[in-house]
Amino acid sequence: MKVKVDQSLCQGHTLCAMKAPEVFELDDVDGHSSPISPEVPAGQEANVLNAVKSCPERAISVEGAP
Amino acid sequence: MSDDVVSDEERKKISFHFDRHAEGYRERFEDITHEMHSRCPIAWTETHGGHWVAAGNREVFELAARSAEYLSNDNDVKGERRGYQGISIPAPPRARGRRGGFLEMDPPEQRHYRQALNPYLSPAAISRWIPWIDEVVRACLDEKIEEGRIDFVEDLVNIVPAVFTLAMMGIPIKDWTIYCEPAHAAIYTPLTSPDIMRVGELHMAMGMELVKRLGEIKANPRPGLIDGLLNADINGKKAPDDELLGVLGLLIGGGFDTTTALSAHAIEWLSENPAERERLSRERDTLLDSATEEFLRFYTPAVGDGRTVSADCEVAGVRFKEGDRLWLSWAMANRDPAVFEDPDQIKMEREGNRHASFGLGIHRCIGSNVARTVFKRMMLQVLDRMPDYVCDPEGTMHYDTIAVINGMRFLPATFTPGPRLGPGLEETLEKLQKVCDEQRLAEPVTVRKARAKVAD
Repeated sequence: MKVKVDQSLCQGHTLCAMKAPEVFELDDVDGHSSPISPEVPAGQEANVLNAVKSCPERAISVEGAP
Repeated sequence: MSDDVVSDEERKKISFHFDRHAEGYRERFEDITHEMHSRCPIAWTETHGGHWVAAGNREVFELAARSAEYLSNDNDVKGERRGYQGISIPAPPRARGRRGGFLEMDPPEQRHYRQALNPYLSPAAISRWIPWIDEVVRACLDEKIEEGRIDFVEDLVNIVPAVFTLAMMGIPIKDWTIYCEPAHAAIYTPLTSPDIMRVGELHMAMGMELVKRLGEIKANPRPGLIDGLLNADINGKKAPDDELLGVLGLLIGGGFDTTTALSAHAIEWLSENPAERERLSRERDTLLDSATEEFLRFYTPAVGDGRTVSADCEVAGVRFKEGDRLWLSWAMANRDPAVFEDPDQIKMEREGNRHASFGLGIHRCIGSNVARTVFKRMMLQVLDRMPDYVCDPEGTMHYDTIAVINGMRFLPATFTPGPRLGPGLEETLEKLQKVCDEQRLAEPVTVRKARAKVAD
């Protein structure tokens, strides 16, 4: 599964990093999110889908969801 | 001309009498919300000069998060641009003549202010302060722990956000009392109250105090948000003093009243639901994050924001005209059954909780990480040190008006007394001021990365 954060939409709400802290990292300066790697690590799929559902800006998308 | 009149009537044909300022609005909030969701998720209301009200989650999202090019936050107080009236509907008398900081600006200016402040307020920046915040909470609880009695608003959730906001700004924390009453009273006093003049005067005095602090920090720089603003590059220039004062007012208003409102409501609900309180305490490692988001959703401290339509457009099936006023109701969007199952119930484990309590789009609350952190640090110590507290409904007082903030004035409670763990508030604040100054805690995260060290 692949994951992307649309940087033009992310506003730094940080919910994705609460749901999947091993997948998303938050910028030190403005808290905006990006995936640590575009490939979702095995076992993290459910957390990432939860992050997608939680993002208030609908900025996260996935490809190849199970 | 006549075509325009007809089309104006046509486009405003879905109308709803909506008045957040009316008496009894707080009690009728859920009924009004249900009615708007089922009948008119976006509607025209004639109240307060006439404005649109967006109540549906999809409508609020499409407008706030996806239509930035058609919406303006500008408060054009000097009549230099298009005369827009900012984010308050109606404009409060105390705000005439001053913009409410970058929340009443549009990009690129708004972005420049936020860029200057982000490194003080990001998750990484705020987490540095946790030991320091914990010590403020500890001292507040120690003041009351032996007594077995506390007013959670006056003795805890008013104090911690106030003290921490001032510390981040670079203002002496012992001054929190100067700011506390005006910051809250300006919000909870209805415009029609006989007390409004006194509150206005308190607010003016607070403004004078901020002018003084701004001058001091300009002459003798000390780290903090004020210093960050003084050095900010705004369109290639320094920010003018009157705009800076608007920003300081925004930081005080945003920092003081909102976290207080959230925490008081959560504490009250947990008292009414002791089994849930026990579960939250027991399962805190997995439950505290989602419970925090759920309290944010359900109680939506900042209930909404005004906008002005800056260009003719059609969004969510409504034809807006340049100059139309619009109320984006975060509180109603957060109760939309199309997005939230059982929206009027608190479910601490709720998933997919894409609430709008910090706003949506480019004006996302810049203090959201402050709010979450302060809330969680207060809750943890309350759960640990006063696990059996019982709030007294007789003494509880909610805000008369929740037109701006869904807040609380008093929340008295009793609990099984316990032992003090350290010095009281005054002594602790003296110590924490030293810690703040010596370790330069209020520097941005770009300058200082280390966590605060509070232990003796």
